[in-house]
Amino acid sequence: MTPEEAKAYLLRRARERGVQVEVLGVWDRELGFRVREGSVEQVTRADRGGVGVRVVIRERAGYAYTEQLTPEALDWTLREAEENASLQREAVAFLPEGRALGHHDLLGEGLAASADSKLALALEVDRAVRAQESVRRVTAAWYHEREHHVHLGSTEGAEGSYRTGVASLGVGLVAQAGASLKQGYHADWQVSFAALEPGRTALEAARRTTRLLGARRLPTGRYPALFEPRAFAQLLGAFWVLWSGKAVAEGKSRLRGRLGEQVASEPVTLVDDPTLAAGLQSRPFDAEGTPARRTVLVERGVLRSYLTHSQSAQALEHPNTGHAWRSYRGVLEVAPTNLYLQPGHGVSLERGVVVAELMGVHAGCNPVSGQFSLQALGLWVEGGEVAYPVEDFAVCGDFLELLRHVVGLGDRLEWEPVPGAVVGTPTVLVEDLSFAGS
Amino acid sequence: MLDRDLVAEVLARARRGGADFAELYVERTRRRTLRLLNGEVREALSGLDYGAGLRLFYGIEVVYAYTNDLTPQGLRQLVDDLVRLRAGQVDSSGRGGLDFRVRAPVGLHAPSVEPEDRPKAYRLERLREAEAGARVDGRVRDVECSLLEWDQEVVVANSDGTWATDRRVRTRLSVMAIAQDGAEVQTGVSAPGLSVGLELFDHHSPREIGRAAGEQALTLLRARPAPAGTMPVVIGNGFGGVIFHEALGHLLETTAVARKASVMADRLGEEVASPAVTYVDDGTLPHGWGSSEVDDEGAPTGRTVLIERGVLRGYLVDRWGARVTGYAPTGSGRRQDYTLAPTSRMRNTFVEAGEASVESLFEGVELGLYAKDMGGGQVRPGSGEYNFAVREAYMIRKGRVEEPVRGAMLVGKGPETVRRVVAVASDRRNAPGMCGSLSGTVPVEVGQPHLLVSAIVVGGEAR
Repeated sequence: MTPEEAKAYLLRRARERGVQVEVLGVWDRELGFRVREGSVEQVTRADRGGVGVRVVIRERAGYAYTEQLTPEALDWTLREAEENASLQREAVAFLPEGRALGHHDLLGEGLAASADSKLALALEVDRAVRAQESVRRVTAAWYHEREHHVHLGSTEGAEGSYRTGVASLGVGLVAQAGASLKQGYHADWQVSFAALEPGRTALEAARRTTRLLGARRLPTGRYPALFEPRAFAQLLGAFWVLWSGKAVAEGKSRLRGRLGEQVASEPVTLVDDPTLAAGLQSRPFDAEGTPARRTVLVERGVLRSYLTHSQSAQALEHPNTGHAWRSYRGVLEVAPTNLYLQPGHGVSLERGVVVAELMGVHAGCNPVSGQFSLQALGLWVEGGEVAYPVEDFAVCGDFLELLRHVVGLGDRLEWEPVPGAVVGTPTVLVEDLSFAGS
Repeated sequence: MLDRDLVAEVLARARRGGADFAELYVERTRRRTLRLLNGEVREALSGLDYGAGLRLFYGIEVVYAYTNDLTPQGLRQLVDDLVRLRAGQVDSSGRGGLDFRVRAPVGLHAPSVEPEDRPKAYRLERLREAEAGARVDGRVRDVECSLLEWDQEVVVANSDGTWATDRRVRTRLSVMAIAQDGAEVQTGVSAPGLSVGLELFDHHSPREIGRAAGEQALTLLRARPAPAGTMPVVIGNGFGGVIFHEALGHLLETTAVARKASVMADRLGEEVASPAVTYVDDGTLPHGWGSSEVDDEGAPTGRTVLIERGVLRGYLVDRWGARVTGYAPTGSGRRQDYTLAPTSRMRNTFVEAGEASVESLFEGVELGLYAKDMGGGQVRPGSGEYNFAVREAYMIRKGRVEEPVRGAMLVGKGPETVRRVVAVASDRRNAPGMCGSLSGTVPVEVGQPHLLVSAIVVGGEAR
């Protein structure tokens, strides 16, 4: 069976059994090339999909999925989901009322180009990086594309589908000057194939890495910090969960009960917008069929909204912002789509640290406490000029505290994928931050 | 799970299409997750992963494809598409004719309590016991308990005639306690896991696991921010071994070594660590979280001595790494699932016990940090730079362990840190973790005894 046929089969079986069910059928097509130093290292091609179900019985929810689309496997899936639902004591679950959601094609242009032309991009970025000064070798250069098909249906009337796609081009390298070694990378993600530019990606990868060669150690202290977009996106990628209605409802967010309060400094406006044209995470409706719309989370420093789905919205008596997210292999979660910090009017740093990159974000950030302690690489700025690169230091602080000390924002957004979303930020100037070095 | 003649045919089609080696990996995995928050079920999920990955070698070039369509037409389509992608000629004539050497698991890590032997309600009771254990004090506000169960069946067949099957059953209990005192909120975690079935609860009492998480959260509540600066660090046993995993283990995988992307490449026989350090990776530890009978390339797992008394003795070598470097494979080819081609990975990796007593490690330390329990970390093999979070830490003053501190991050370069190991105690213990790399996230054990490193940068709060 195809995922679409499996969806129809499950809806029919659920109706026969008198249970409410929501079925998410997903099918992905992938193509990737990884090259290194002029030769092809790996070619990947994939077709993958499956169906996930959310069953609600007597206001209790259970989940199951299968990638084997045979009647036996689908029946097993439905039975497991029913059994999982029966484990719940609390009767609070429900399936939202569904509607016809339409069939949408958001696939960008050019993904139908030949495999050879895609491989050529990866080879070109590899070649262009090696031509740069101080580049000792390429660790990998890659092209990757994914076409993503989603079918949603429920016994409550939800019915719709869409297709999206993304292509990416990236390169990792090791640069050397004397005894100083630095490893770095740069990647570009686009909805449209034609927007990928190997020359630009290569230059950016080399620039980001070689500028850190010959780094000195940073003395421990408190300094103003200018976060480059990639570094700030990594932070936001770890801490967006503070805005998750699910985390708020479960008592895991420090933003609980603070709607309408000043939680950040005046320059900070944070928005999530699944309707952005060419947004990497744009989609017409969320994982339970709520139509997409723009949500302002923080407006000039004031907390305006959480990210919610039907259940967290009900628990918090908050509007449903349509941020249900689900992989067919998982349970319903809340997640941002295209999350961005609105750009400002430009910033400059007189003396302090440019934070270029953060490492260890998955371990060094605690979204419950809001604290972070992260290894970083950067540049020391003196008299408004970059004096020298710095290494072997960590930045530490509290994310909400940091948002209260944002004093300026750059005027241009850069987008960076983070686990589960894509984050756009300009450069961010923080007036005071703790740095641990030598 | 699959017809041998069909597999032989698919592998032969790949060879006729120009590949000099072909391998088919088929996986059927049942997963169950049960997560409770404050006694209520928040997540109950069951699933079936089912798919095949086909890998072809053209010299050292790898071509990989995966699909959920395991019908004869699906598999033929898979191999023909790959051959075409590599601009080869599709030749669908004839049969495979491979005479497979069949290897079935002997049950080295087999479960004694099968997942199907217990109802879901049994699991629920164990999780509620863990929660009760975690509520050591009224300040423990929230407790999240989860149970992860995997039951993975794999078949690996290749054009050299390997036909290996394996079953890996893994179970992990994880408890997170959130404690609050005024505005201060801290979390404690305890999460044992083994290659076992539901007898996990006999090895680890849920109540005790809960208590460990609860007590860690309370300790952190009274912890002050960690200091910042360079100082001696005593690293605790068990999950403390994550420092070696990050700072050394990843640098010894042929994934990095073969590309000369590791500072440890081409250094066999050289002294690369302090003579106090012997570092071993062992995929055969009975019921180890990272153990299996064969790796994901169908090769038997083994015990690999990486560093012996400071001298580099070996690398972790997968089939591709062996082709590039000429080193013998070590049964280290692993992957998260059928969607990823295998690469060289760690299994259960640990620093062997030394002879020092635990107390003696602290004795000479005037001012330092005792990193008792670790969070996760990350490394860049090209430069050896690593970082990882310390979950539970204490100050050491004049040889004594004093107040708890939190928010510490250890930062440095692996090759420097492993030379600075001055003493290794005899209390080795392993602990489970999840390791992410090119071939996805795989279960591994890390381990070590208590050990003393003369200087590490501690990223805490500058005052």
